[in-house]
Amino acid sequence: MNKRSLSKLLALLFAFALVAAACGGSSDADGETTDTTAGETETDTDEPIAAGEEAEGDVDTEVEEIEGERSYGGSIAVGLEAEAVGLRPWEDTCSSPCYNMMITVFDKLTDQALDGTYQPYLFETLEANEDFTEWVGVLRSGVTFHNGVELTAQSIADMFPIQQEGAAGAGGLSAANIIDVQATGDLEVTYTLSQSNSALPATLARAPVGMVFEAGAAAADPDGSANEPVGTGPFMIESRDLDNETIVVRNDNYWGVDPEGNQLPFLDQISFRPIPDEGTRLDALLSGTVDVFQTLRQGTIRDGRAARDGGEDIVMVEFQGNNVGGGMFNVLVPPFDDVRVRRGLTQMNSQENVIEALGGTGISLPGTQWFSPDSPWYSEKVAAAWPSFDFEAGSATLQEYIDDPERSDGKAPGESIEVELSCPPDPSLIAAMQVLEQTWTASGVVDVNLTNYDQQTHINYALGAENGFVGEHGAHCWRFSSDSDPASDINPGFAPPTAEIAEAAGIPDVVSPLNFANYFDGEVFGAAVAALQTDDFDERYALYESIMLKIAEDVPIWYSGHTATAFGTNPAVMGLTGWHLPSGDIGIGIPAVEGRWHEVWLSN
Amino acid sequence: MAKIIAARLLRLLATLFAVTFISFMMTKALPGDPAVAILGQDGIQNEELLLELRAELGLDEPIPVQYVTWLGNAVRGDLGESYINRGQSVAGTIGQRFPVTLQLALMAIIIALLLAIPIGVIGAYRQGKWQDQASSAGVQVALSVPNFVTGIFLIWLFAVKLEWLPASNWNRISDKGVIANLKTAILPATALALTQMAIFSRLVRSDMIATLQENFILSARAKGLSDRFILFRHALRPSSLSVATLVGINFGALLGGTVIIETLFAIPGLGFRLINAISQRDILVIQGITVFIATGYVIINTVVDLFYSVLDPRIRRS
Repeated sequence: MNKRSLSKLLALLFAFALVAAACGGSSDADGETTDTTAGETETDTDEPIAAGEEAEGDVDTEVEEIEGERSYGGSIAVGLEAEAVGLRPWEDTCSSPCYNMMITVFDKLTDQALDGTYQPYLFETLEANEDFTEWVGVLRSGVTFHNGVELTAQSIADMFPIQQEGAAGAGGLSAANIIDVQATGDLEVTYTLSQSNSALPATLARAPVGMVFEAGAAAADPDGSANEPVGTGPFMIESRDLDNETIVVRNDNYWGVDPEGNQLPFLDQISFRPIPDEGTRLDALLSGTVDVFQTLRQGTIRDGRAARDGGEDIVMVEFQGNNVGGGMFNVLVPPFDDVRVRRGLTQMNSQENVIEALGGTGISLPGTQWFSPDSPWYSEKVAAAWPSFDFEAGSATLQEYIDDPERSDGKAPGESIEVELSCPPDPSLIAAMQVLEQTWTASGVVDVNLTNYDQQTHINYALGAENGFVGEHGAHCWRFSSDSDPASDINPGFAPPTAEIAEAAGIPDVVSPLNFANYFDGEVFGAAVAALQTDDFDERYALYESIMLKIAEDVPIWYSGHTATAFGTNPAVMGLTGWHLPSGDIGIGIPAVEGRWHEVWLSN
Repeated sequence: MAKIIAARLLRLLATLFAVTFISFMMTKALPGDPAVAILGQDGIQNEELLLELRAELGLDEPIPVQYVTWLGNAVRGDLGESYINRGQSVAGTIGQRFPVTLQLALMAIIIALLLAIPIGVIGAYRQGKWQDQASSAGVQVALSVPNFVTGIFLIWLFAVKLEWLPASNWNRISDKGVIANLKTAILPATALALTQMAIFSRLVRSDMIATLQENFILSARAKGLSDRFILFRHALRPSSLSVATLVGINFGALLGGTVIIETLFAIPGLGFRLINAISQRDILVIQGITVFIATGYVIINTVVDLFYSVLDPRIRRS
């Protein structure tokens, strides 16, 4: 071939590339996509919402039994939002990306069913004494760790001292009031608690306390365990290349079977890849670089839906749970120490516009409490009580404060109030903040100063370790709640925030740095404590409802929308929702996009 | 010559001291706390634990004491351990990440030169003609588009639309071979290369225009040598000196400038690690990588300066 011909060929190839790019979609662009989202969920809005049912306007994927013949083998690549610092439940701080990896290696002692209740998992039974200060669990037999060590009650007892020394474990044990763990039989474990805790099963369903690791291996190589953890889970660590790829392979000796009796897991291998950029992660799925991607951003869900609706052969598996976005006022700092300011600003929060700025229109439901409309804990009464958007009423409420000669910020009557509104520098959060700024400023009585700090700084300002946990924040973007038992978030969230407040309340030993809004009310805290002294759902429901009603009255926090999260998948990836507990009951689905990978299979 | 080298080494040490001091102080000035990052939500419920951990990490010492301790260890070759990935030495982290960043930077420079030289030569040879104008316009676009935008476009074109290359992540040669490695490296390297290409081609063009007006070129033309021969054998070499210098300097800058591209493409190089370390307040890792990059940059610049001194006696004499 002479050089002129070569030049022509190159030019032709380049032209082909451009034409192909302009016209092309994926090779399966004309194929039928499996739509498992909004439009297909069936709801009956006239009936009360029962646990696990979809609420009116809810837009997530219905969790249900998945039909289809299971097949064994194959591997998938999963694009995660971030890398896990380490995979030690007792030591490493863990969020959604990390949980996706940990959950393949470690089994949990309990897990959550679709109706939100907790069931034994590695435990076969779990029972409490009358005042919930002692819990006895019996492990299933015949379970072995990846290194061949048999799981016994002593294995759980041996985890306890390691958890006590662990950066994450010590706090987890303390929050759950666990003071001792003993093997009281070959398979019987007894937990002794310092105070009543009817929500212990929720603690046992998560790291740092509930994930079961082999204590001998952990003690022998504490640092190495970060990358080569040993659990009883359906997969075992094959290799871990930090910030690039973590590969887990099938555990052939896994104890679990699905309700049909099929040996789990189905897949041979999973490769987890951290891809921090939201756009690249979605592109990685669209290009086939990964088979599954996760997102906790409404804007990315919107883009994923658009790609699917535009003909890309992907499936969006969505979950909208209790986690709710918004912000908090530091109630120890003027002018937020006055409920009129908090209420006025909240009434001037147009949730609809904020959600739109977040890219969540048609995806995210406006929040009124710490529970989403399809949660069993959701309360219509609270929803009705929440100060929803009413600009005129909000302005009037603020004006009362502004005209008050005794106003707490020390300014002269008639002067504007100053609000420092701060969020991490995420583009969608900044857009949402600008909506708030415009609305608040439009009242003519509020001067807003927008600030952005990176995530760590943002948390540190709210934590305030340097000033007795008062914090240095004013109005601060935040997320609240989760799909765990309400006690997991409510109790630390509303306990006395500083030593002085705890002292004044007569409970000097109870200080919670996690009460970031610094809001303390004796009745609220009393209800939260009382909810740990009973396992009767109706009683607990009433207590949590009373807390949420008080929050709606005192508004230490404001809401935007419930956090929608999603996995986008190649259509061949099946079984992400509709996984089962050992009892055969269907599990809760994928809250916070934490997959249960043991029942995932590749369709033919 | 020995004096020049000694002077350069002294300047190198002074620069490194300034870099370490400034970066340490800047990192410390940030309000984030590594202890909070380590403990997470479960851990920070316990104030005692938080204070204990801060003491264990030496974070309760005065900042100057922390710096002197770090510097004392660093000059003995001990850059410390990551606060977050406990047990992982900073030097080990750098050793693992640097080859990835080095490969990206090398590939970017090679791609940039492969594109820049023909574009620059053609621009000079066809000065003022449509070829020159078209290449100048293309170069202007490449200069003005940030490399992460180029990266996003490349992912869209070659990964999403054409499905020729993966959109992200990194295949190590040791695990998956050279071809698989190049497949993951080519897009980020190209994204990094385009800006470099634009700068290099401008320089080649301007130097080449000057060279083409030299008497020895006229003499070569008079001898009847072909234009291509004259351009690439006679004119290119004397026109390459300033580009060679710039390649050295820009290569050093690229080693520290891959942060955004590595994050966009999820590539486990120094830049990606640095970004994670900053968000986690993993101060010793930030320090270690910053010092490593700064050292590399200063050394490359020093070598380029010395190289210049060797080539040009006027610089040596001055």
